[in-house]
Amino acid sequence: MEFPDIIAFAVPAFLVLVLAEIVLSRIMKRGRYEARDSAASLIMGFGSQIAPLFGGATVVGAVFYAAYELRLTTIPNTWWAVALCFVLDDLRYYWWHRISHERRWFWASHVIHHSSQHYNLTTALRQTWTGNILGQILFKTPLIFIGFHPAMVLFVGAINLLYQFWIHTELIGRMGPFEWIMNTPSHHRVHHATNPKYLDANYAGTLIIWDRMFGTFIPEDDAEKPRYGIIKNLGTFNPLVISFHEWIGIARDLFKSKSLKEALGYTFGPPGWSPDGSRLTSAMIKERWRRIHADSPVASSSSDASAVQPAE
Amino acid sequence: MTGNLFIDSLISIGAIALMVLVARLLFPPPPSAVTEAEARERLAFDEPDFLTVRWLIDRQGRAAVAEDAAGDVALVFRLGLDLVTRRFPASAIQAEEANGALIIRPNDPGSRKLVIAADGAAEWARKFSAAHDIR
Repeated sequence: MEFPDIIAFAVPAFLVLVLAEIVLSRIMKRGRYEARDSAASLIMGFGSQIAPLFGGATVVGAVFYAAYELRLTTIPNTWWAVALCFVLDDLRYYWWHRISHERRWFWASHVIHHSSQHYNLTTALRQTWTGNILGQILFKTPLIFIGFHPAMVLFVGAINLLYQFWIHTELIGRMGPFEWIMNTPSHHRVHHATNPKYLDANYAGTLIIWDRMFGTFIPEDDAEKPRYGIIKNLGTFNPLVISFHEWIGIARDLFKSKSLKEALGYTFGPPGWSPDGSRLTSAMIKERWRRIHADSPVASSSSDASAVQPAE
Repeated sequence: MTGNLFIDSLISIGAIALMVLVARLLFPPPPSAVTEAEARERLAFDEPDFLTVRWLIDRQGRAAVAEDAAGDVALVFRLGLDLVTRRFPASAIQAEEANGALIIRPNDPGSRKLVIAADGAAEWARKFSAAHDIR
């Protein structure tokens, strides 16, 4: 069974769909585009395709080759194996993605994808230049080790990635029963939102069932429009800063660490962790949001984000 | 794609330029000024427990700075269509006054110098300097 490079085939479709979304967003007055933000996202996407050529692809390929040589069994390249591999890979994606939000080392790569305050198809292409090596080795190697051919694992991973392209849009609203099982634009808007009630939710790649199973599913609330970006939004469109800002932050924190415990906390703790609690993790932000809502009868009667404005 | 890295890269760069150009043509450039209403709304979203007691907003809307009841300081500046905020203890702000403007240099990667020309800039600069010296 041959496994084509479907990403290469999809590139022309990316161009057509992005252009279509820009035009439709303008006509329908729904969704937003800002040329410099789009340029930054697209340059990040371009760089993410080039970056593995600087050695990462070789390292990952060698590890995959070794894992397949040591495999527990041989799973044949059949349609049912592809289907099984796809589901297992999607489960793999859920946990990789969740850890990428919960541990700063992985977040330093994944934050790039969330660093735009826009949510459109170019955001889907805003990808890391630094995150593919360790993530692929840690999370994809087990599939190869149990017997799936590396080409099949890469193929289903590419399908997963392609599926996630179209869900980065504000043009598509709710999708009825499709949303029970599949990840959709609505579910993924919640994932990209920085509204406290939406934080740490909807990590799914293709199947939203994993979030429903593991307790991380949050539906989009019509009364609370998602606001995209990261907790501490970047002040620049510079791709180099976008790519490396969190790594620089880790390095700075390590430099001022007073103990091994602090160094480990800064590197592998939740994003926002600090020894004295002076910064905010997402759990602390959610707790602050709950506290403010609990304290304010007006705020608690409405789920609108504007209701948490300070009383002045 | 062709399979040739150089040609594929050129095609990709051309496609990126086309998409950005269409976005630029169909969507107007973002406003350049920060207004108090916008700054207030954004700060309330990002820092809901920041109880603003006073603002200093640049006359041309380049940036704004706010102080809260507990002595924390928030910076608000524009990035494209959106605003970006930063919150610090007053002692962490590196600020100076020049030609009637408050100059603030945030230390996060990629941040640019913020210039806030407004009445009272000198007083804010003195206050930040004093807080920084105490630290």
